[in-house]
Amino acid sequence: MRNRISLFGWPELIAVLLLSCGFFVPMFTRSVLIYSVLNQVFIGVVAAQSVWIMLRMNLLSFATPAFMALGGYTVAIAGRYEITNAFVVTAGAFLVPALVAVPLGALVLRLRGTYFVLVTFVLSEIVQLLIFETPSLTGGSDGISGVPPVTLLGTDMATNRQVLQFCCGIAVLATVVTGGLTRYFRQHFAAIEENEILAESLGLVVWRYKALGFVVAAGIAGLAGFALVSMLLTAHPSSFAAAIAVDFIAYTIIGGPTSILGPLFGTGALVYATNLFGTHGQYAQGLYGILILIVMLVARGGIVGTVGLLFNRLRGARR
Amino acid sequence: MKLALFVAGALALPAAALAQSCEVKIGAMGPMSGGAAQWGLAMLSATELAAAEVNAQGGLKMGGKSCKVTVVPYDSKYTADGAAAGSNAFAAQDIHVIIGPVGSPEATGIKPVAARNEQIAWNAAYAKNALETKYPLMFHIAPGPAAWADTVIKRAMKVFPMKSVAIIAPNDQGGTDIATVDAAAYKANGVQTTEEYYQRGTTNFAPIVTRVLATNPDVVDTASSPPGDAGVIVKQLRLAGFKGPIGRLGGPGTDEIIRVSGGIDVLQNFYWFETVPTDDPKVKAIDDQYRKLLGKDPVGGTSVWADLPAARLTLKAIAAAGTDEAQKVAAALRALPVDDPNLGKGYWGGKKQFGIAQELQFPFGVGIIKDGKNLGVERQEVTPE
Amino acid sequence: MAQFLQAAIIGLSLGAQYALLALGFTLIFGILGVVNFAHGGFYMLGGYVAYSCVALLGVPYPLAVLIAVAATAALGWVFELFLLERLVDDHLATLMLTLGLYLILSNGLLQTFGPLAMEFRFPVSGAIRLGPVYVPQENLIVLAICLAAIVALWVVLYRTDLGRGLRALADDRAVAMAQGLRPKLLFPMAFALATGLAGLTGALVTPILALSPGVGDPVLATSFLTVILGGLGSLQGAALAAFAVGLVEAFCSVYFGGSIGALILFVLVLLLLVFRPTGLLGRTVRGA
Repeated sequence: MRNRISLFGWPELIAVLLLSCGFFVPMFTRSVLIYSVLNQVFIGVVAAQSVWIMLRMNLLSFATPAFMALGGYTVAIAGRYEITNAFVVTAGAFLVPALVAVPLGALVLRLRGTYFVLVTFVLSEIVQLLIFETPSLTGGSDGISGVPPVTLLGTDMATNRQVLQFCCGIAVLATVVTGGLTRYFRQHFAAIEENEILAESLGLVVWRYKALGFVVAAGIAGLAGFALVSMLLTAHPSSFAAAIAVDFIAYTIIGGPTSILGPLFGTGALVYATNLFGTHGQYAQGLYGILILIVMLVARGGIVGTVGLLFNRLRGARR
Repeated sequence: MKLALFVAGALALPAAALAQSCEVKIGAMGPMSGGAAQWGLAMLSATELAAAEVNAQGGLKMGGKSCKVTVVPYDSKYTADGAAAGSNAFAAQDIHVIIGPVGSPEATGIKPVAARNEQIAWNAAYAKNALETKYPLMFHIAPGPAAWADTVIKRAMKVFPMKSVAIIAPNDQGGTDIATVDAAAYKANGVQTTEEYYQRGTTNFAPIVTRVLATNPDVVDTASSPPGDAGVIVKQLRLAGFKGPIGRLGGPGTDEIIRVSGGIDVLQNFYWFETVPTDDPKVKAIDDQYRKLLGKDPVGGTSVWADLPAARLTLKAIAAAGTDEAQKVAAALRALPVDDPNLGKGYWGGKKQFGIAQELQFPFGVGIIKDGKNLGVERQEVTPE
Repeated sequence: MAQFLQAAIIGLSLGAQYALLALGFTLIFGILGVVNFAHGGFYMLGGYVAYSCVALLGVPYPLAVLIAVAATAALGWVFELFLLERLVDDHLATLMLTLGLYLILSNGLLQTFGPLAMEFRFPVSGAIRLGPVYVPQENLIVLAICLAAIVALWVVLYRTDLGRGLRALADDRAVAMAQGLRPKLLFPMAFALATGLAGLTGALVTPILALSPGVGDPVLATSFLTVILGGLGSLQGAALAAFAVGLVEAFCSVYFGGSIGALILFVLVLLLLVFRPTGLLGRTVRGA
């Protein structure tokens, strides 16, 4: 059992099942808040998974907003040419950032540790400035508004319910891809995370897996950008500011970086908190800060790590 | 201690909500943290005051009952997604009327979502598409430069003759959407114009100032740069030896610019657009009214005065409609005479610029500082379109 | 030519400001291995403490700067000792802790002082003019203090027992501890030294520029950029990189404008890191 490489383990299965539940939510409630929070969770989970893939290789990436922008703007620009077919734009939102990530990866993957953190942050800043400097293509600082809704099998995904279910589908797709990748290459990624130089000296072609991870992470981030644009019907540079990378990193770490359930639970908890605190106006930011401090101090290893620990302890007690 | 305050604040909200049987909730939205916090907090202060005034009179008359008005704030963080999330959070609390948001990105984000949620929203963005005919529930508070730039320039040129101007603004939508309109207005008055955009978050403007002064402009205009930035720009312009007048065809914040730049002597020659005639004692009295009713100081400076009429008018419209249902309130709003106890007579404008007359236009102000002396803010009446 | 000289002067004064910020940042990273997201918060706090002393208590400005340094150092010490120390080996956890602290600090300052910019002036003002070129006097003072701080920090790190202990802990914690060095004692001190430097910068620079609750946001990005360019944990590298970033920023902004200037700066940083992956003077790489 341990030795067989299976494409799916329990955490991956639980993540996909939990996310799929979102598809049925509209049958039980019409609450706008639930729709809104779930939509944000779906977008956040996808973006956090992009961060998580890189963290599996001990690389902390701030490039998520850059690739989100590429995915989101791809869809918005396709909309201008009336390309709204769900399968085509989903493929585009994944492939365009992934393709851009190939040459970029060749450049930035030579860096490690904090140097990689900075270079990915700089990438996000560069993309933001490029958007400002190319108004004819991207709408510049005004963005592209009035993006047409995507069409799935001839139906416009226009109502709240359809948007939610479509975002849910994107999140499930992203989780399957992320889960599949990290499961299939689990040992390779673990070896790189543990000790890259040792892994290389033992014959692992490290750059190949790092490049693969980077490209897929870029594609996943593109999907997050796509989901965001299809929720707002707008591609606006403020949605892809370099600073928002911190949010996705927080989702991943607070959730617990050890398992794919981490980004899921972290996103769920923090997005819910953001919405809750938002209605406290000027205190929102401070409350969010206090929450982060408390979780980090009380729950080492994030939410998933702590739950796992408690679970093991309970089992141990019963024996 | 801080923690205790936060917790108390978190607990107080639902408790207050339970105390009242008939209650109307209205939302106040805008950035309430970060660099643009003052605009959102001003929106909140204005809404609080309008609500307190109505509550002091025994509440809002709705269908034979007198209802207490409660204000729910939302920090939309100056982003499109923040405003969209805020609209949804309000919808979940059964809030159909939103005073705010403020920034251009926020306006872009809230339009489609508030339309879906059937909410009235009052944005105060200078964006070129602040109003659109396809979003009839969107109203607009502060008219953009298209409505006033020409008047301000003509008035300024009488005091400060000018042949060329350099406009400095941030490189995002909050900067470009104003600076380009300002530039067109200067050109229409025969003034040569250059535009200079800086990266939002810049703290030291010495390089920008050097670049701008190389073109030898008669006047430098700080457009919609945040007041803190504009203050540093002014300080560094003067330090670099620039003697000409400095203009500000953007937003309020002159007091702050004076504070940051090092005083009125540093400013020397300055002209600016004010959203309201700030020297009018009746307008200034708004702050006293706030202190009297709410027992604390309003936050956000003169923007509070500009945002207040929208909040007041909306509450009046709810009373007139007898409900806070968005469509009916919007209809009542369009029919109400535009009149504010502090600001005086105003009009519905915006037909010419946006194709929809849902922009609240009140008398505005042109301020002039000449040779280090504040000549005050002149009231400029608006004429109906 | 005058413009060229002016850009160089501006670049140097920007460099001094960035160097002061980067020194503290690189100290914390080099010794504790912590990326301090709250660095901008301490900068802001330094500014507000100095402002409060001058405006509310009537303390003379130089003394107010010292009080600001003491206050930010004390907060840094307490934060390290009671919160950060528990998780100091977990790089991701410390990132989150400092982020949380930053959010609380900036929100607390917003609540306390309101959103508007303060009236806070540097006691010396005016510029020395040499023909078409000018040098603001306050920038000369900041430059002098910056150079003094670099020297002082160098002395502390390379000529005192405290410095030897800190450097030993930075090089190899296990060996250093085996030799009797106590991180529980030294780490809070290093952190306090660094946050005190951030506070000093805030107290010096905010009266020259502006003091409002948003001014901490750009600090993190600038410090980060400078420190990485210089090579992590390298004092000399950080100082060198700070002046390089200042000069590049000044020249790009003067000749190409603010928005494109920023773009050029970022692309240069990207290229430099790609061709010299450990920064200007860096040698080793730490995990994220």
